[in-house]
Amino acid sequence: MSAKISAKMSAKTLRYLIVIGLIALWELLPRAGLIPELFLPSLSSTLIAGWTDAAEYGHALAVTLYEVVVSMAFACGGGILLGAIVGSLPRPRILIMPMVSSLYAVPLVILYPVFTVWLGIGSESKIAFASIYGFLPTMLATAAGIQTIDPQLLLAARSMGATLSQRLVRVIIPAAIPTVLSGLRVGGALVIVGVVVSEMLISSAGIGYLISRYRTILDSAHVFAGVLLVLFLAIGFNAVIRWIERKAAIWQTGTRAGQANDDVASGAMQPAT
Amino acid sequence: MQPLANVTPLKPAARAGAIEVKNVGQVFKTRSQDVVALEDVSLEVKPGRFVVLVGPSGCGKSTLLMMMAGLRQQTSGTITISGAPILQPDPDRVGVVFQEASLFPWLTAEDNVEFPLALRGVPKAERRAKAQDALKLVGLEGFGRRHPHELSGGMKQRVSIARGLVQDPPVLLMDEPFAALDEQTRMTMGDELLRIWAATGKTVVFVTHSLTEAVYLADEVIVMSARPGRIVDHLQVQLPRPRTYEMLSGDAFGTLRDRIWRHIRKSA
Repeated sequence: MSAKISAKMSAKTLRYLIVIGLIALWELLPRAGLIPELFLPSLSSTLIAGWTDAAEYGHALAVTLYEVVVSMAFACGGGILLGAIVGSLPRPRILIMPMVSSLYAVPLVILYPVFTVWLGIGSESKIAFASIYGFLPTMLATAAGIQTIDPQLLLAARSMGATLSQRLVRVIIPAAIPTVLSGLRVGGALVIVGVVVSEMLISSAGIGYLISRYRTILDSAHVFAGVLLVLFLAIGFNAVIRWIERKAAIWQTGTRAGQANDDVASGAMQPAT
Repeated sequence: MQPLANVTPLKPAARAGAIEVKNVGQVFKTRSQDVVALEDVSLEVKPGRFVVLVGPSGCGKSTLLMMMAGLRQQTSGTITISGAPILQPDPDRVGVVFQEASLFPWLTAEDNVEFPLALRGVPKAERRAKAQDALKLVGLEGFGRRHPHELSGGMKQRVSIARGLVQDPPVLLMDEPFAALDEQTRMTMGDELLRIWAATGKTVVFVTHSLTEAVYLADEVIVMSARPGRIVDHLQVQLPRPRTYEMLSGDAFGTLRDRIWRHIRKSA
């Protein structure tokens, strides 16, 4: 047991050490002149660049965050809603699923220039693009989650007199939560990608726009300051999703732990069989 | 209120737990042909009896049970429970226990047992008290806070039985409830079920594949034939109660089991 814990601890410490090592390398390699500052500006000069233009980055972050939040609402809300419909009703499923699946394989970014023609180069075109980009995996995951619900659970609920709406609220939704959350994880990550990429392509504001603009004037320090911000955005999103997962889907992680716990269930609880 | 009382000729209380199946048939329509799953099945179960349905796979014994539960509609005939026809699931009259425990994995054992009460808006305190009683009855006192994945197969089925009993219906229908359990657990659970049955006085209809289990548990065994499903025999098991492990090797037990086996071999 103690060996297990210490092994776990050392893996965690090792992870931290790797991150710290990479940060140190980021600072040291450019300083030592081993990598030209144009390719990789040192961490300190990146931070200084970000700090001196903090207002500009703050404004860009606000624009990007606004676009991400609105797109996520569209992508996740729409994806869950349509996924639930498609997952529970066979007719729309036959109609829509093949289309959605093949659409998912298309690199949707080719549509972005069209969106700018329709909606302009402001936030609207980014939101439209990122929403569609994140919508597809969320919808597919939700549909799959609802389709794979154990029919025995629904039969049992029916035998206890559950109405259709009670079955939806008390059985279908909780049973689908784990799959929906994994869809949200992928969909949400794609929303961030969608917003930043579209800002880099054709835009006048946002972090993607800043990165792209500083790149054209070869100001690497400012480019990397933008990259750092996107990195923090992604890490923050991941933390939020994990928090939701912990809150909402305790039983799912429990099932995974439960497999390891099987000997406990059959051993220690023997008296009650 | 007065006229209503006049229209109902039967006193439900007097017939609580009685099951009557009259000329029931079930036909599945497929694209190419109609498959007769059940044909002219009639049987009567008196209140408080332990009746076991056996038969080869595909004889429609589970289908018959699902129709008694109101989960499936028969093509012809009538089924009455406690004196009134059963047209849809009615947890006041019938509790159902399924093969796989079919517990909701995101709920604790006690929340699972409370589930049918929660559906009808029973207040929390009353729900909890009833669930505790039901869990105690099935020998799971103190396990209420566990999730299903923290329970063994036998314990899950105990929770499932508690859930079927929590609304105190006079009839408990069990669809191969111990089929997924290992042999030892299965034996223990059989004894446990008989104890619970004796303590509650429910009418039990129990579907199984196991002939030994059938004879060991039952007051009456109903043997069905394969497609189309019909009743081919209806045995009274006269073995004394409580049933013991030693009876399994006795002559009376063997005779009954052989008689059932001959029917099944013939129709399979």
